Amino acid sequence: MELKDEIRISAPRDVVYRALNDPEVLKQCIPGCEELEQHTPEHLEAKVVLKIGPVKAKFAGEVFLDTSGAPDGFTLKGEGKGGAAGFAKGGAEVTLVEDGAETVLSYEAKAEVGGKIAQLGSRLIQGTAKKLSAKFFAQFAEVVAEQTAA
Amino acid sequence: MNDLTPTPEERAANLKGMGCARKRVEDVRFTQGRGNYVDDIKLDGMLFGDFVRSPYAHARVVSINSEEAMKVPGVVAVITAADLEPLGLHWMPTLAGDKQMVLADGKVLFQGQEVAFVVAEDRYAAADAVELVEVEYEELPVIVDPFEALKSDVVLREDTVDANGKATDGAHGPRNHPNHIFTWEQGDEAATEAVMAEAEVVAEETMYYHRTHPCPLETCGSVASMDKVTGKLTLWGTFQAPHAIRTVVSLISGIEEHNIRVISPDIGGGFGNKVGAYSGYVCSVVASIVTGKPVKWVEDRMENLMTTAFARDYWMSGKISATKDGKITGLHCHVTADHGGFDACADPTKFPAGFMNICTGSYDIPTAYLAVDGVYTNKAPGGVSYRCSFRVTEAVYFIERMIEVLAIKLNMDAAELRRINFIKKEQFPYQSALGWEYDSGDYHTAWDKAMEAVDYQGLRAEQAQRIEDFKAGKTRSLMGIGLTFFTEIVGAGPVKNCDILGLGMFDSCEIRIHPTGSAIARLGTISQGQGHATTFAQILASEIGLPADSITIEEGDTDTAPYGLGTYGSRSTPVAGAATAMAGRKIRAKAQMIAAYLLEVHDNDVEFDVDRFVVKGAPERFKTMKEIAFAAYNQAIPGIEPGLEAVSYYDPPNMTYPFGAYVCVMDIDVDTGVPEIRRFYALDDCGTRINPMIIEGQIHGGLTEALAVALGQEIAYDEMGNVKTGTLMDFFLPTSWEVPNYETDYTVTPSPHHPIGAKGVGESPHVGGVPCFSNAVHDAFRAFGLTQTNMPHDHWRIWKTANDLGLHG
Repeated sequence: MELKDEIRISAPRDVVYRALNDPEVLKQCIPGCEELEQHTPEHLEAKVVLKIGPVKAKFAGEVFLDTSGAPDGFTLKGEGKGGAAGFAKGGAEVTLVEDGAETVLSYEAKAEVGGKIAQLGSRLIQGTAKKLSAKFFAQFAEVVAEQTAA
Repeated sequence: MNDLTPTPEERAANLKGMGCARKRVEDVRFTQGRGNYVDDIKLDGMLFGDFVRSPYAHARVVSINSEEAMKVPGVVAVITAADLEPLGLHWMPTLAGDKQMVLADGKVLFQGQEVAFVVAEDRYAAADAVELVEVEYEELPVIVDPFEALKSDVVLREDTVDANGKATDGAHGPRNHPNHIFTWEQGDEAATEAVMAEAEVVAEETMYYHRTHPCPLETCGSVASMDKVTGKLTLWGTFQAPHAIRTVVSLISGIEEHNIRVISPDIGGGFGNKVGAYSGYVCSVVASIVTGKPVKWVEDRMENLMTTAFARDYWMSGKISATKDGKITGLHCHVTADHGGFDACADPTKFPAGFMNICTGSYDIPTAYLAVDGVYTNKAPGGVSYRCSFRVTEAVYFIERMIEVLAIKLNMDAAELRRINFIKKEQFPYQSALGWEYDSGDYHTAWDKAMEAVDYQGLRAEQAQRIEDFKAGKTRSLMGIGLTFFTEIVGAGPVKNCDILGLGMFDSCEIRIHPTGSAIARLGTISQGQGHATTFAQILASEIGLPADSITIEEGDTDTAPYGLGTYGSRSTPVAGAATAMAGRKIRAKAQMIAAYLLEVHDNDVEFDVDRFVVKGAPERFKTMKEIAFAAYNQAIPGIEPGLEAVSYYDPPNMTYPFGAYVCVMDIDVDTGVPEIRRFYALDDCGTRINPMIIEGQIHGGLTEALAVALGQEIAYDEMGNVKTGTLMDFFLPTSWEVPNYETDYTVTPSPHHPIGAKGVGESPHVGGVPCFSNAVHDAFRAFGLTQTNMPHDHWRIWKTANDLGLHG
């Protein structure tokens, strides 16, 4: 499965970059996020409740960031395990481009899923993933805009 | 005194014996919701089991933590391989001579493999707890392609290699790679190569018969109840072979066989899916022994499609040689058979690829060679015969495609090519190049009847016009004429060469005539919808002269039924049906002596007449079977024991060979890939016809499953070993919407060795139907250069075929 999109955020690039690496912001923005712990700036651990079609499960996941490209962007890879519901793993490349006072965030993500979510939800996964990422970025844009305003 | 009316014809009609389109007696229960299936069984204090299954297709199981799961209210136990190991039950034997993990023993080999068994007071608690069992996996490389498996360094089954990593010998001889299971050869390779080298024409083709699944409406399940006081285990389950299951349970559990009672209640369709032994059966038994309570296990639809026995998955390459005028001289076939993680095929022991060596079909092919290589992959185990005798759909598909491919190469009409190569009537019994003795047949008569019925020449003329119109841009629809002539091999089988786990494949019938002239007959088979209670009573009615309506047929309870090998491979009528007739004849022999005594004549002076014995030459002096039955219980007859009972164990001298001629007429929308089946004509010759209505029902059902397989039904995997078709959203199960009108027809060529001449019919329509639908799709594109495209021919694949041929402009 591949996802690709571009979002415009009303905040300068360094603010966006910082927010993207702020566990508190991420926790607010990731749909279904129950816990998010930052072990190091490059290593996060999360617990997320996800519902894909008829399958609802708590995924325990780890995310590793490669921030060597900061602040033009970063890459990440991660893996989540949802027990009986299955598992997911993948990676993404996030690019941040300044456009005046705003930032254009574009991302390209690749993911593989296995187990029950792959079988039961295969025709729903792409749609659900799009919906979830849209939800994330909508929330993210809002939170960042609030922070900027404050 | 004696009244000669009604006439013999009227008396015969009253019996509703053989040839009568008797309504199914089962349907009174089934249509009123009074069936009794495994999931209907409810026992006091019954517990429910559910599986933790692997999301990975290939992984090591590092740890299993059931602490959280055990906290769910109502959870009684979480069983793992470690718990089964001390009992020696963490692995079980398969029907193919391999062994299979009951619960993951250190690793998993396919997605959905059983890892732990949760036992709880209700299904919901069990399902909740399943989600809380924490299993840590370490992923391993996944192999879903059998050709890659044979080249790979990844060893799937570490238990099948020695300390140096070399493959140890398997149940069917040497293995040439750790992921190789067996090589099975039939026929003469050198002679076949020589024929091919000299042949005027050789056609070659490779085809993939995709993996699919029988998908019975009722999924697999069992209820085990261990009575700790009596030491007796009762096991209800979806078993197509209850007696064999009892023997297997006894052998692997150590419980003496008389202390095990296996019951197959009503079964909601089997189609091969319910032949094998599954982890759920073993775990329900173990859980009942451990808890002392009855334990039920019933799989859901996804579990059924993902884990219990699949069918097909054969990669077949063929070469067929002929003279320029179309006389076939030789056939060469090689199969790479994907068996998944364990070899759990259901075949007679000596036939690891079933009866694939029937692949010379209905044709007189003097020289042939077949080799099959079985391969392990990270897919679910199985390889059962889905509505066919052992691997016969694969064999018939292969030869019926090869005939079409040869017809293209020869630029010949495929109907004519078949006709000039059929085994002739006078050649029967016919010895095939791959080892079978075909008992009987009259292929030319059947074929000519079919061709005439559909106006074959007229169809070809219409098709030629359609092609012209298509090329002229007047239509976007193409017409395909699918032809198939099949010969099945069913009724396994003679004990001399057919056994499953060492159990000879005979079958049995035991009859008790009650004093008032009604009867019960018990058989070693088990109906899964075939209508045994109806047809077996009809065989008996004709044999013993009591009305079918007065005869109860009972199957499936090992405490009461005589030992038999069960129902699959169209073996019930050829084997148990023969036993029924033979047991009936024993009844009749005793009845003759009783009648002679009552009529005060010598035994040889009475003869059987429909429902009575009459004095020869004086038909007004008779005793009806009803009268004889009563006499058997109330008269002291010198030299004859009281009672009227008989049992027969029948070991068939040969298989039976039903055949048929099918024609499918299909219109294909080139732009959408949607096929419209305009006509389907099915002529079947199943020998003596017991109940024409049941035959027709069986043919409709088999054709519908054939349509499913040919046009869309498949178990598909992605590269990670995920099952992509695990629900009925993705797995095609046809409904009345997709099913065309079927025309049925018949000829009758009785089996010469079967007591009543019957051959079996339940699977013929599937065996003949799949290539017929597929050939219709191929034939539609033949004029545009198509030789071979693999099934299933779903809309997308048909569209793609048209697109690849440049038909979309």
